[in-house]
Amino acid sequence: MSTFPRPVPEYGSEPFWAGCNEGVLRFQRCAACQKLRWHPAPICTYCQAEDCAWETIPGTGRIHTWTVITHPVHPGAVGKVPYVVVEIALDAQSDLRMISRLVECEPDEVTMAAPVEVVFEAHPDGQQLPLFRLRR
Amino acid sequence: MNSISDRACIVGIGHTEYSKDSGRSELKLACEAISAAMRDAGLGPGDVDGIAKYTMDNNDPIEIARCLGLPSLRFFGEVAYGGGGGPVGTVMLAAMAVATGQAKAVIAFRAMNERSGRGTPRFGQAMVADTAAGPMSYLAPYGLFSPAQMVALAARRHMHLYGTESRHFGAIAVACRHHANLNPDAMMHGRPMTIDDHQSSRMISDPLRLLDCCLETDGGAAVIVTTPERARDLRQKPVFMAAGGLGGGGWNNRFMVRDIDAPDNEATVAGRRLFADAGISHDDIDVLFLYDHFTPMVLMQLEEYGFCARGEAKDFIGDGSRFLWPHGDLPLNTSGGNLSEGYLHGMQNIIEAVRQLRGTARTQVQDARYAFVTAGNAVPTSAMILRGEA
Ligand SMILES: [Zn+2]
Repeated sequence: MSTFPRPVPEYGSEPFWAGCNEGVLRFQRCAACQKLRWHPAPICTYCQAEDCAWETIPGTGRIHTWTVITHPVHPGAVGKVPYVVVEIALDAQSDLRMISRLVECEPDEVTMAAPVEVVFEAHPDGQQLPLFRLRR
Repeated sequence: MNSISDRACIVGIGHTEYSKDSGRSELKLACEAISAAMRDAGLGPGDVDGIAKYTMDNNDPIEIARCLGLPSLRFFGEVAYGGGGGPVGTVMLAAMAVATGQAKAVIAFRAMNERSGRGTPRFGQAMVADTAAGPMSYLAPYGLFSPAQMVALAARRHMHLYGTESRHFGAIAVACRHHANLNPDAMMHGRPMTIDDHQSSRMISDPLRLLDCCLETDGGAAVIVTTPERARDLRQKPVFMAAGGLGGGGWNNRFMVRDIDAPDNEATVAGRRLFADAGISHDDIDVLFLYDHFTPMVLMQLEEYGFCARGEAKDFIGDGSRFLWPHGDLPLNTSGGNLSEGYLHGMQNIIEAVRQLRGTARTQVQDARYAFVTAGNAVPTSAMILRGEA
C-alpha cells in the first residue's frame, strides 16, 4: 500500500525530526529575542540573530483552520480519504502555527479553535510524525 | 520618472486553440502563439529582440528565437512562481526591458501541454514522490499536496472570520462560465453553469468544490511589448501599462498555505502602488481580470487589492450579477478566465484585457479605458493596470 511521502531530515531540520522520534515537539528558540520559529530556519525570522537553541515545546494548541480532503490526488491518499488536514496554532507562542493531520475523529467533529494535542505516529519507513487529536 | 507607468505598451496578441490535448509539442504551441502575436502587431523577426518567460515554462528562449528566426536576442529573462509571478510579471519584465532601451520589442508568453501531461505535469495532480524535502517536508507527510488543498485552508479561515459562504465563491465561477458561453474559443463554451450546479458539484477539499477549481489546458498564448514611440508606427491601437507591481513576503511563503490573518500579503504588496502610479482610483476600472485558479482566491483579491474592505467581499459580490457582461457594473474575466476559457496561467486573461482596451472583445465593455489585471495569489504574485487610448 502506498503511503504519504516520508520527510527527509536535512541540515537545519534534523533536531526537529529527531525530537519527533523521541516523542516531543522540538523547535528553535532564538538566543537573542527568545522567539520560537517555524519552519526551521537558519536565522531568526524576527531579529536575524543566528544563535538559537532547540527546545521542547508543549504539544498543545488550537485549530486555526482545516480542510477535509475527499479527493485523493496522491497514491498515498487512496483509501485514506476523507482525512482532515489542520493548521494548528500552538499554545507555546501566539503566532506559531504548523500544518499537520487530525486523527482519531470524524470530519464533522472538527470545529474552529478546538483544543488539540500532539500524538506521534510512525510513518511506515520509521520516522515518527507529529499528528494531532482533539483534546476531549 | 520613478515607475513603469506609460513607458511600455502591449502591441500584439496571439494564442492557439485551448484544448485537452493539443497533439503537438510545447515548442510548436509557443511558436504559433508568438508568431500570431507578431503578425497581429505587424512586427517581423528583425523587430523583436527579447523574450520574457515563466520560469516553469519548459521552452528554451534561444530555441524559440532559432525557430522564429529572430536574428538577435538582446534580452532574455524569466519570472518565478508559475501563475503568480508569470502572467503579469513577464509583461512587467518585458516592459522594463523596452523602457530602459535594453530591447526594442519583447515577447511574453506561456505555452504548455498541461492537460494532456505531454511535457508539463498536471496542476491538479500531486507530486508522487515518496519523500518530501525542504518546505514540502512540513506539508506532504500529513497528506497536504495540491494547490487546491492548500488554498482550501485559507478559504475555510475566511469563511470563519467573515461569514463568507460557498455561494459567494460560486458566483465567481458562474460569472466566468457565463462569459465562456459567449466565447466560442472557450473550453467550456456550450456548457452553461448555474449556482445550483456549483453548489452540487463534488467536494475536492472541503470547502473547495470541483467547480471552484480552474481548468487544465493545452495551448499557447503570447503578447508583444514595446515602447509608446515604437507603437505609433504599428498596426494596432497600443494598450499602455499604466502601473505594474510584483509582490511577495516571507511571512506567507509556505507553498500555497496563506496567512490571511496577516495585514499584508503578496497581493497587498503587489498592489500597494498601482493606483497611485496609474493616477486613478478603483472606480475608474472598467473591466476586471482577476486570476482565477480557485474562486476563494479571486474573492480575496477583491479585498486585498482594495476594491472593498477586508471581510466585505461577500457583500461586494452579492449574487455576482455585477460581474456579468453586458449589464454588470464590473465585468469579470470577460472571455471566461482560467476557470472556463482555458488555463494558460493567466496569459489568456491578459490577451482579453488587451482586446477590451482595443475595443475588439466579443463581450466588449462600452468605452473600456482601464483594466485591472492580476496574476495568481497564494504564491508570490503580480498585478497591473492597463490603459487603452481614449
Ligand atoms: Zn530573534
